[in-house]
Amino acid sequence: MVVHAAELKQAAIQGLTHVTGADGLADFRAHARDTLAAVAFPDRKTEDWKYTSLKALEKDHVRVLAASTDTPALPDLGGTQVVLVNGQIPDLDSLALPAGVIAQPLSSHQDKATTDMVGPFTALNGAALSDGLLLSITAGADVDGLIHIVHVASGTQAASAHPRLVIEVGSNARVTLVEHYIGSSPILTNAVTRIDAHCNSQVTHYRLQSEGSEARHIGLLEFELARDARVTSFQFMQGCALRRNDVHAVMAESGSDLRMKGIFLARGKSHIDNHVCVEHRVPNCESDQVYKGIAGEHGRAVFNGRIHIHDGASGTNAELSNKNLLLSNTAEIDTKPELEIYNDDVKCAHGTTVGQMDATQLFYLRSRGISEIDAKRMLGTGFVNELLLAIPDDAVQAWVTPWLADALTEGL
Amino acid sequence: MLEVKDLHATVAGKEILKGLSLSVKAGEVHAIMGPNGSGKSTLANVLAGRDNYEITAGSVTFHGKALAELEPEERARLGLFLGFQYPVEIPGVSNMEFLKAALEETRAAQGKEPLDSVTLLRKAREACKQVDLDAQFLKRGVNEGFSGGEKKRNEIMQMLLLEPTLALLDETDSGLDIDALQVVAKGVNSLRSPERAIVLVTHYQRLLDYIVPDKVHVLSGGRIIKSGGKELAHELESRGYAWLTGDAAAENA
Repeated sequence: MVVHAAELKQAAIQGLTHVTGADGLADFRAHARDTLAAVAFPDRKTEDWKYTSLKALEKDHVRVLAASTDTPALPDLGGTQVVLVNGQIPDLDSLALPAGVIAQPLSSHQDKATTDMVGPFTALNGAALSDGLLLSITAGADVDGLIHIVHVASGTQAASAHPRLVIEVGSNARVTLVEHYIGSSPILTNAVTRIDAHCNSQVTHYRLQSEGSEARHIGLLEFELARDARVTSFQFMQGCALRRNDVHAVMAESGSDLRMKGIFLARGKSHIDNHVCVEHRVPNCESDQVYKGIAGEHGRAVFNGRIHIHDGASGTNAELSNKNLLLSNTAEIDTKPELEIYNDDVKCAHGTTVGQMDATQLFYLRSRGISEIDAKRMLGTGFVNELLLAIPDDAVQAWVTPWLADALTEGL
Repeated sequence: MLEVKDLHATVAGKEILKGLSLSVKAGEVHAIMGPNGSGKSTLANVLAGRDNYEITAGSVTFHGKALAELEPEERARLGLFLGFQYPVEIPGVSNMEFLKAALEETRAAQGKEPLDSVTLLRKAREACKQVDLDAQFLKRGVNEGFSGGEKKRNEIMQMLLLEPTLALLDETDSGLDIDALQVVAKGVNSLRSPERAIVLVTHYQRLLDYIVPDKVHVLSGGRIIKSGGKELAHELESRGYAWLTGDAAAENA
C-alpha cells in the first residue's frame, strides 16, 4: 500500500512520543521536532524529489528502533574502527583511537549538532536523535591510518535508525575518514554527517554505501571548508529499495579546494538519487566534481548537481561532470546540472551524458574469447576506471574493486 | 578447416552475401580480393559472429562445427581470430588487462595451462617487440589514442599471443605505410604453419608481395566469381576488376 506523504509524516511524529535521549540534546531535539512539524514530507510535486518517490517506505519505516546489541561481521580496512549499530553510538571510553582524535557524545556539544540544510528527514533525524558522535581532530595532528566509521543497519522489520556524525578537523590537521554503511536489513537509515574542515586542514573522505537491496537509506552529507582547507571525497554508492543522498558543501573561506568523485550503481530494481550542491560563498575557491552512474535491468538513478556561485565569489573555479552508462533498455538515469552564478569573474564548466554500452566494443572483446559477462564487466569497470585509479588508499581500493565487479556482474 | 557452402547473409536485413562458397585447409593462405561493397568485410564479420550479421542460408563449419550456433567468444576459443579493419578504442580497459582476460578464457577453453602473470607479461612484451610496438602500449587503454598503424600492429600482436588456427585479417594492410606493412607481414608470416590457415581480406595486391597466398579469390556481388593462384592477384593489379565483374553481371542477368 502506498502511504501518502502526509500520513508518513504523521506516523513519524507519533513515533517520536516514546523516543528519549541524552539530556544535553533536549533543546536541539525539541527544536528539530518543531521543524519536523512545520515542514511537509516530499511527494511527486516536490521539485527536489521529482524522480524519487517514498513508496518504498511504510509507516513502520519511520518508527524509531530501540537500541540493538547486534555484533555483525565487519569489513576490515585496516584502520581504527568505530561502529554504530542502528545509529547507536558505541561506548566511547573503550575506543582505542589514534593520537589526535577525540571522540565525544554529541550531547556534550549541542551547539555543534546543527546543519546548514534542514529538510524533513534531517529534522526527523534530529527529533529522533538519542545521541550522536562528535569526532574532533586536534589542530596540527597528522592522524595515522584510516578512521573507519561503520554504520550497521540491523533488524528484520521495517523501522528506522538515525545516525548523526559530526567531524571537526582542526587547523593544519590531516586525516582520512571512511564512512561505511553496511547491513542487509530493510530498515530505513536516515543519516546525517557533517564535516567541518578548519583552516589549511586536509581531509580525505570516503563514503562507501553497500547495504543490501532491501535497505532504505536517506542521507545528508555536509562539508564546510574554511580558509585553504582541502577536502577530497570519494563516494561509492549502490542502489537499494530507496537511496537518496544529499551532499551539500560550502566553500566558506577563501583558498579552499574541494574534489568529489563518485560512482553510483542502480541494478536490479534498485533506486539511487544523488543531489549534490556546492556553494561558493567567497572568492578564490576551487571545486571539482566527477560522478559516474551505471544503471541496469530496472534500476533507476538520478543525479542532480548544483553549483551556486554567490555574488562575492570572484575567482571561483568550479567544474561538474556526470557521465552515465545504461546497461539495459529498461533502466533509467535522469541527470540534471543546475548552475546559479551571480558573479562574472568565475570559471565554471559542466557536462552530463547518458549512453549505452558500445556494441562494437563488446563485440571486439568477445571476438578475443572473452565471455559476454566478463566483457560487460570490463567495459563497466573501464567506464569508471579513472575514478578507481584516483583512490589514494590501497585498502579502500582493494575494497572498492571487488565491490564494483560484484555489483556489475549482478543481473548480467 | 573452414568450409563455407552457398552462404547467404544479411546485414541489418539487407542481403550482402549471395551464395558464397570457400574451402580453406590447414596450412593454406587465402587472399580474398574484390571491389568496394563486394561483401569482403561482411564475410569477415559473419564468420566472427557480429550482431546484425545474419546467416540466412547455406552453412559454415569451422573445425567441423557449425559456426552459426556459436557465440563470438566460442568461435574465438575454437581458434578463430578476426583482425579488425577498424579496431575500436576502449578507454579505461588496459591492453594488458584485456590480453590477460582473452588469454585466460581462451586457454581455459582449449584445455591449456593458464599462464602465470610473469610469463604472460614476458610473452606480451615479446609479441610487442615482434610488431615494433613499444611495450608501454600494454599499459594504455585498448587502442586508445593509437595511430592507425599502431592499431593494426596491436591486432597482429594480439594474434601472435592468441595463436589462432585460423586468422582472418580484414584489410589489415589498408592505411599502412610500406614499413608498417612489412612489420605486419612479418608478424603474419611468423604464424604460418602446417596447422594454421590465414585468410587475408584485402583491397591491394601490395600485401600479397609480402604474404604470398596459396589461393586468390575475387569476391563480387556477394559471391566468389573467380579463384586462382597467386598470379591472379597480379592480373587483378594490372587489369582491375571490371573484366571480372562484367562477366558476373552477364552471368547474373
